[in-house]
Amino acid sequence: MNLQQDNCINSLSNNKVENHFGVEIQELPFINKINVRIDINDNQNIIKCGKLINAILPIQPNTYVKNDNVKAIWLGPNEWLITNNQNLYSNLKSEIGNIQASVTDVSENRTVIRISGEQIFKLLSKFLVLDLEKNLPDESSCAQTLFVKVPILLVRNNNEKQIPEIDIFTNRSHANYIYNLIVDGSQYLDF
Amino acid sequence: MFLINCPYCGEREQVEFSCGGEAHIERPKNPSDLTDDQWADYLFMRKNIKGVQFERWNHINGCRRWFNVARNTATDEILKVYNIGESAPSISGNNPTTPSGEPVIGSGNLSSSFEKK
Repeated sequence: MNLQQDNCINSLSNNKVENHFGVEIQELPFINKINVRIDINDNQNIIKCGKLINAILPIQPNTYVKNDNVKAIWLGPNEWLITNNQNLYSNLKSEIGNIQASVTDVSENRTVIRISGEQIFKLLSKFLVLDLEKNLPDESSCAQTLFVKVPILLVRNNNEKQIPEIDIFTNRSHANYIYNLIVDGSQYLDF
Repeated sequence: MFLINCPYCGEREQVEFSCGGEAHIERPKNPSDLTDDQWADYLFMRKNIKGVQFERWNHINGCRRWFNVARNTATDEILKVYNIGESAPSISGNNPTTPSGEPVIGSGNLSSSFEKK
């Protein structure tokens, strides 16, 4: 039913992984995303939302929390992005999407490009104005910034392999542009 | 280019922000009582200070929140960042001197006769 749920980067067949200088680049499969806005003082709705997603909404700026299926990413002092594999939207909408809070399904808005490898910070620093060491210090940090001129959300993952891994959330319409720049940049990491 | 200390996200590059113009402009209580000139003043006339100016900024490519900034327009030095709704901090006393020594208001053409009504 949903035409947008395919991968959106033209040059990619499904789950193709580009690999240059140990940096792997791929577009992740479709995942549900929900934008939640709740007043920070509205304890009742914050607790209710936490119970539904089985995680505590992060209050600390530029951090995220995750459990097995859900990531709750801080977007602003009263705004979070919840990514999940299940269909949480209808539950959240009916439980907390009332006058005090807003729940919006933004699944088709963004796609996720995952890059991993020891040199991804060097690669990203070609395109970002963000100080990555300061703003993505550990495996629970995220940051919103500009990629050249495109607004993106960076989420640093933790994985068992201890290899740095970053998910780039970007508008679907800009995904090709960003993907091509990253792939191109990754081919010149040796100088 | 300069750094702005977003109250939520911390220090970020200015390109991530968008300036919303002069801060602390109150909407008149009874717009229908105003003359056209007074209404035009409210809508269009802004200070153009060479020195400390209070501005609204939005972290448009970050947390998308508004806040106020006291910025020296001559040097781009940011003297204070404070929340929307707070009154302007009293830092006009230590207005840094402008590089060429022009008057603070109307300094573009060295005319100090223009004062905002």
